[in-house]
Amino acid sequence: ETWDMPTPYPDATFHTVNVHDFAKDVAEKTGGKLEIKVHSAGSLFKHPEISKAVRSGQVPAGEFFLSLLNNDNPAFGVDSLPFLATSYDDAAKLWAAQKPVIDALLDAQGMMALYAVPWPPQGLYTTKEIKTVDDLKGLKFRTYNSTLEQFAALAGAAPTQVEVPDIPQAFTTGQVEAMITSPSTGANSKAWDFLSHYTDIQAWLPKNIVVVNKRSFRRLDEATQAAVLEAAAAAETRGWEMSRAETAEKVAVLKENGITVVEPSAELMAGLKAIGAQMLDGWKAAAGAEGEALLNAYQQ
Amino acid sequence: MTVATLSIILFVLLFAFLGSGLWVALSLLGVGMAAMALFTDAPLGLVMATTIWGNGNSWALAALPLFVWMGEILFRSRLSEDMFTGLSPWMNRLPGRLLHVNIFGCGIFAAVSGSSAATAATIGKLSIPELSKRGYPEKMVIGTLAGSATLGLLIPPSIILIVYGVATEQSIARLFVAGIVPGILLVTLFVGYVAIWGMLNRDLLPDEGERFPLREKLRRARRLLPVMGLIAGVIGSIYAGIASPTDAAAVGVVLALVLSWASGSLNWQSFSEGLMGAMVTSCMIAFILAGASFLTVAMGFTGIPRLLAEWIGSLQLSTYTLLAALTVFFVIMGCFLDGISVVVLTTSVIMPMVQKVGIDPLWFGIFVVIVVEMSQITPPVGFNLFVLQSLTGRNILTVARAALPFFLLMLLALAIIVAVPQVVTFLPEAM
Amino acid sequence: MRQILTALYKLSGAVAALCILSIAAVVFAQVCLNLVDKLAKLTTGQAIGLTIPSYADFTGFLLAAATFLGLAYALRAGGHIRVTLVTGLLGPTPRRWVEALVLAVALGMAGYATVYMGLLVAESHEYGDMTSGMVALPLWLVQLPVAIGLGVLSIALLDDLIAVLRGAAPSYEGKGENLLSE
Ligand code: NA
Ligand code: NA
Repeated sequence: ETWDMPTPYPDATFHTVNVHDFAKDVAEKTGGKLEIKVHSAGSLFKHPEISKAVRSGQVPAGEFFLSLLNNDNPAFGVDSLPFLATSYDDAAKLWAAQKPVIDALLDAQGMMALYAVPWPPQGLYTTKEIKTVDDLKGLKFRTYNSTLEQFAALAGAAPTQVEVPDIPQAFTTGQVEAMITSPSTGANSKAWDFLSHYTDIQAWLPKNIVVVNKRSFRRLDEATQAAVLEAAAAAETRGWEMSRAETAEKVAVLKENGITVVEPSAELMAGLKAIGAQMLDGWKAAAGAEGEALLNAYQQ
Repeated sequence: MTVATLSIILFVLLFAFLGSGLWVALSLLGVGMAAMALFTDAPLGLVMATTIWGNGNSWALAALPLFVWMGEILFRSRLSEDMFTGLSPWMNRLPGRLLHVNIFGCGIFAAVSGSSAATAATIGKLSIPELSKRGYPEKMVIGTLAGSATLGLLIPPSIILIVYGVATEQSIARLFVAGIVPGILLVTLFVGYVAIWGMLNRDLLPDEGERFPLREKLRRARRLLPVMGLIAGVIGSIYAGIASPTDAAAVGVVLALVLSWASGSLNWQSFSEGLMGAMVTSCMIAFILAGASFLTVAMGFTGIPRLLAEWIGSLQLSTYTLLAALTVFFVIMGCFLDGISVVVLTTSVIMPMVQKVGIDPLWFGIFVVIVVEMSQITPPVGFNLFVLQSLTGRNILTVARAALPFFLLMLLALAIIVAVPQVVTFLPEAM
Repeated sequence: MRQILTALYKLSGAVAALCILSIAAVVFAQVCLNLVDKLAKLTTGQAIGLTIPSYADFTGFLLAAATFLGLAYALRAGGHIRVTLVTGLLGPTPRRWVEALVLAVALGMAGYATVYMGLLVAESHEYGDMTSGMVALPLWLVQLPVAIGLGVLSIALLDDLIAVLRGAAPSYEGKGENLLSE
């Protein structure tokens, strides 16, 4: 059997590399009985469509950015809350607390999570040095979802919507002056062409998740099902390792290409964390009892 | 079913659909349906609905109706006529005369529009009636437009360079810079061709032999000011950092409305007719894009383009033969699929082999864009051909024949950038 | 009946045109806000951050609505292009039969797409999907115009099919643009 599997990011992104390894692993473990054909870079379905395509069985499996579904349920977006979980250890703990909730939500839509892998910690990219939260005041700050919009507003920055393809031009023309993203995305999009400073604020570690359609999965024989789950577990372990390695590697790439990599001052971090705490309150209000339980599980 | 059999069936089906007079958008949709039904067990209807929705709601595409509307507004005002009257005395000595307006018009417009269909529709709407009224030969009017409108893809901003940059993790800023000199090269080749053609075919060009004294020329040139102001406003809004390239299209619409109001040609009738006209044209193009995107997804499921690319990879070709093979591959695929789709479907397979023989991926991006430009004017599926067919009512083969010399000029441009790669690389390297 | 149908095509086309007008208005308003921001930055050194939330999302949704709601109107205005090289060679009677066949095939495809687009809208509704941008809208709401537009196109194709079978000329015949002076 052959499975078509759409993924949103290009081949060189470590998430996609990991997906390819996963596919190879499955083929080996099942003796070629199940082949997974990876369609990277949104070449089969666009990013917002991937989860829906898996849900309705158009494709048996797919990968997407978990907090893309934040508007459907705040539990999907808890890993994108600023300064809630900022290290790999905390991110692992958060995923352990978040997973049962996500499993239930996906189950209700006929899907099942295979594995999830975090992006490297998100850093602050700017066109000038940022020493305190005050330096962000009035700075044109790129936002693409409501969490970031709120973050920018609380920091006193000017939220500005810029679509991914317009980022280089927007920085060059001064339409935007700051953004938060991972070292991977910064290095892959060659951020040194249009900005100068990277402040390693480690704001959050959002995850990509790989899901499978339950009906497609049930149609596999038991041995194959076991092989898929085994390969998925291996992919999760491998992916987290890749992500850690990626962090150091891509920060080095940024440095090599002339971006000033800055360790944030204690003052800046204190200010940012205060904003994070404020946002967490807002999230709790939106996520209700279920969210409360998730947070309790994480903070234990 | 083997890939070869399937390919032949789809090929025959496409010609049957198109030949019977089925609308182009539905022909593409139908071939996609057949490919899915025959080759995969994915649920056809759901995939179709998902694709239609996913590609139909697109921020990048939103500039299309706006630019088309801008063209409609200018078309209904005196401004486009003024532009040609103003330019005419200056172009008299140049062999080919006002035909060059198509080339430069598209070149300038390409600096604000990222798509070649929008460029063809907007410039075509303005220049075809004027040039045709003045007696310029239809074949050259259509050909220069079809060819030059493809510059929308190469001269930044460019949708396809963004797609390529994202898929291959190349710097979009560098790709944009890399496109500038090859864009100028193509303009030069087009201008040169039209000039030579003009010298050889003097009798086919209308006689605009009146010579004006400089003062009269300048007086007439004043009529160019409104259009120049419009161009400056649109480009300026991008470089002032207040508008993204898509936003700039809305600036164009508002400026066109203001100019048309100032010249007294804006009234309820011209406004509503222009808007409805823009709606119809943009609907036509976007519907074909929807059909093409479904066909692309179907091709993704069948894996035909990927298999062909893998086959080329298995030949273990050296640099130049690989480039030649890829050119042939892209041209053939480009006859049937939208150019951007070919890039999306095959980068995963093609980039590794390209990098293995040591080709610079930045340079290769420009190479790909020129080949994709060529695919815009090859029948049966060529977006510039569709747009010009809809503007002139001429059949697609007539339009394609008119565009053929420009296809060959682009082939020449490819040869030049292969022979002298610095044409592409020296500007981005200086960044 | 005729009047109702004509009104339906016109209404659907007019809404499509309004969507394009709205795209221009929303995007231009954002450009004006950017300009104000730019001026604020120049005078006070700080940008205010004036944005229309999710304006890029809205623009995309409006574009989808404009494209699909405009389909039937564009069809009847001769806006959709086709290749008439081969059919142009046929005599009047075979040409009419080919026209009817083409309309039937087109109707089949448009009807099929309508049904599945409708199912997609229903699915988005059933699961309570929201759009993923800053402003969360129900997904079914923004998808609905696409399904309606395909439905109106199907009606228009059926309308023309019946006309051709009755021996009349289809609505789009001889229409379409020609900017060349003959
Ligand atoms: Na362009
Ligand atoms: Na083509």
